[in-house]
Amino acid sequence: MKFGKRLKQQIQETLPGWRDQFLSYKELKKLVRSISSAPTLLNGSFEYGRAEEEFVYLLNNEIEKFNAFFMEQEEDFVIRNKELQQRIQRVIGKWGPNGNHPSEADYKEEMAKIRKDIVDFHGEMVLLVNYSNVNYTGLAKILKKYDKRTGGLLRLPFIQKVLQQPFFTTDLISKLVKQCESTIDAVFPVEDEERTREAREAIIVAGEGIFRNTVAALQSMQEIRRGSSTYGHFSLPPLNLPDSELIQSVQLNSPIPTV
Amino acid sequence: MNMHPALSVQGSGAKQLRDMGSGAMSSSFPVFASSLDDRYSKYPDSFQVSSGREPVTNSISTQASALASNGNIDGRLLTPSPGFPNDPHGRLPQNSPFISQSSTDGASFPPNHSSHQDLQSTVLMNQYEGSQDIPPWCTATLQDILDFPDNIPVQTGQVEGATGVITSEDHTRRNDWQWADGLISELDPDWNDLPDVNVIDPISEIHQQPPVPSAEFRSVANTLSTAPPAKSRMRWTPELHEAFVEAVNKLGGSEHATPKGVKNLMNVEGLTIYHVKSHLQKYRTARHKPESSSEGTSEKKFTSIEEAKSADIKTSMGITEALRLQMELQKRLHEQLEIQKKLQLQIEQQGQYLQKMFETHKKIEDGKSKTSTSALGDPSVPLSNAIADVKAETLKLDQPKAGIGASNANPTPEEGFWDISQEQRAHEPGDGESNASPTKRARTDQTGNIID
Repeated sequence: MKFGKRLKQQIQETLPGWRDQFLSYKELKKLVRSISSAPTLLNGSFEYGRAEEEFVYLLNNEIEKFNAFFMEQEEDFVIRNKELQQRIQRVIGKWGPNGNHPSEADYKEEMAKIRKDIVDFHGEMVLLVNYSNVNYTGLAKILKKYDKRTGGLLRLPFIQKVLQQPFFTTDLISKLVKQCESTIDAVFPVEDEERTREAREAIIVAGEGIFRNTVAALQSMQEIRRGSSTYGHFSLPPLNLPDSELIQSVQLNSPIPTV
Repeated sequence: MNMHPALSVQGSGAKQLRDMGSGAMSSSFPVFASSLDDRYSKYPDSFQVSSGREPVTNSISTQASALASNGNIDGRLLTPSPGFPNDPHGRLPQNSPFISQSSTDGASFPPNHSSHQDLQSTVLMNQYEGSQDIPPWCTATLQDILDFPDNIPVQTGQVEGATGVITSEDHTRRNDWQWADGLISELDPDWNDLPDVNVIDPISEIHQQPPVPSAEFRSVANTLSTAPPAKSRMRWTPELHEAFVEAVNKLGGSEHATPKGVKNLMNVEGLTIYHVKSHLQKYRTARHKPESSSEGTSEKKFTSIEEAKSADIKTSMGITEALRLQMELQKRLHEQLEIQKKLQLQIEQQGQYLQKMFETHKKIEDGKSKTSTSALGDPSVPLSNAIADVKAETLKLDQPKAGIGASNANPTPEEGFWDISQEQRAHEPGDGESNASPTKRARTDQTGNIID
């Protein structure tokens, strides 16, 4: 139940276009519940196994959904990444110190915009990775419930398949994320002291969509991994976030009602 | 629709299976049912895009891309469905006899058929490694088909007539569509009937290739890109995009380039004009409205409201600091996500490993006659060899330092295996694994309260 609530919260905080792209955890849970826990062969019964069938069918649909959404986003990111890089090059080439029309003012102005865009871009990509992770976690959990309910062995092979799905293979996105980080470090160098100080400031933020979502995601992750009554072979160890005070210090106001 | 004949055939087949007198459980047949569905709708796509990936060296997935090609969208997937749950009873209990054996065996996977066991482990290995061992697998499934000739009154001719063809076909598709079916589908011989229904397009292709290409299976899949329907998905990588941009620039820029021209210039196998078209559209939008293009209007509205509010915050904090903080958090989240993912992979790996251990041991146990051997204490050579093999195959991922304590925690019979395997591994010139194991154990204690 905790996961369900966490998921709901994340969905709430997520970027609008993403809201219905997450796992339909509740629905799947309902299906699992409706599976009779004492399966006996009921000859000629129409209802026999219907819930299981629906369950698996829905699961497959969900995975389809994830894949489609994920790859769509990934494609966008690939394009945007390239565009950003080019934009940076253009600005440096034009207004940079070695450019065609060196102009510190213009350079700074443009770079400031680019910086914001890079950070947002970075954030969105991280959120996509988070999306992948949240859905995976949900799948793992619901499969566990299913197996528990039916005494079945759906989980193991199914998860193996999931691991190979496009939406789970986030290596490319992670690579782009790291690229962003190094780009920002290269183009906007900063002393270390300054950075750590700012990172520790306690701030109340009514933040942007991306920011809120990130914070919510981190909080969620922390909670999900805090401790569980059902630790087993397949449970993740508790999360040890360095600077977890940082997260705590960032408090989110109530969500802004959106259209 | 074509699907129904196949179903009814299986229905009759299933009755026969049932009459074989096994118990029945419901657990896995729905996988069959829905994977039927998926398989059916995905089938023509399955070879679609994998070829498109070939020129792009992305180690993640030649398979993932093949799977990606199956990322078919709602239209196809849903159409067969309405008929599905309403199918008459005959169809329903199909898998149950088969699957029941696997379920009632408790933790161990395979049913009593040894051929299935082979199937199982082979397929597991296949899945894991990503490289294929086609012949044994294919033969096994063919065996199954031929073992139940009565199941396939209609299909037999086709099956037998196109033996090698279906084999490679099936395997390709199997790899293309692994997740929907899982091993459960392998347990069901009837499954292999399905290809016949859809075999129209690709089969003509396959005839051109030598039957059962083993190492080349991927090329088989890749060259099978005739008559692809519109709706498969392409997984765009930076390299592919580079090629795209080059092509577009050669053709005069995003305004003047046509999808067809770009497609031809790029000359990527499996890349359809629809892929190029949609990508071109995205590209154009991205160029004209940098950085807010892919979000859509609703999101724009959202962000502008948010931005208005956050503008206050930002001026008070300083935009730079705000951005830095945001970046910091994002970095943090990403780090954690990466770690979590590694852990998840590792967990599943080990689960798989344990599973195999069980199977392997069971095999050995079954192989030996009634002599009582304790599961844990037997230092039989075949067991250790088997373990070595299994280990070598399953645990190829680099083991990151973060350990999985949980698997060491439970005092179950499985842990017995675990202990043995740990010892074995310690003695072996591992792939860095003998180092990892003590690390893992240490980790258990450090991460502490995993054990209750």
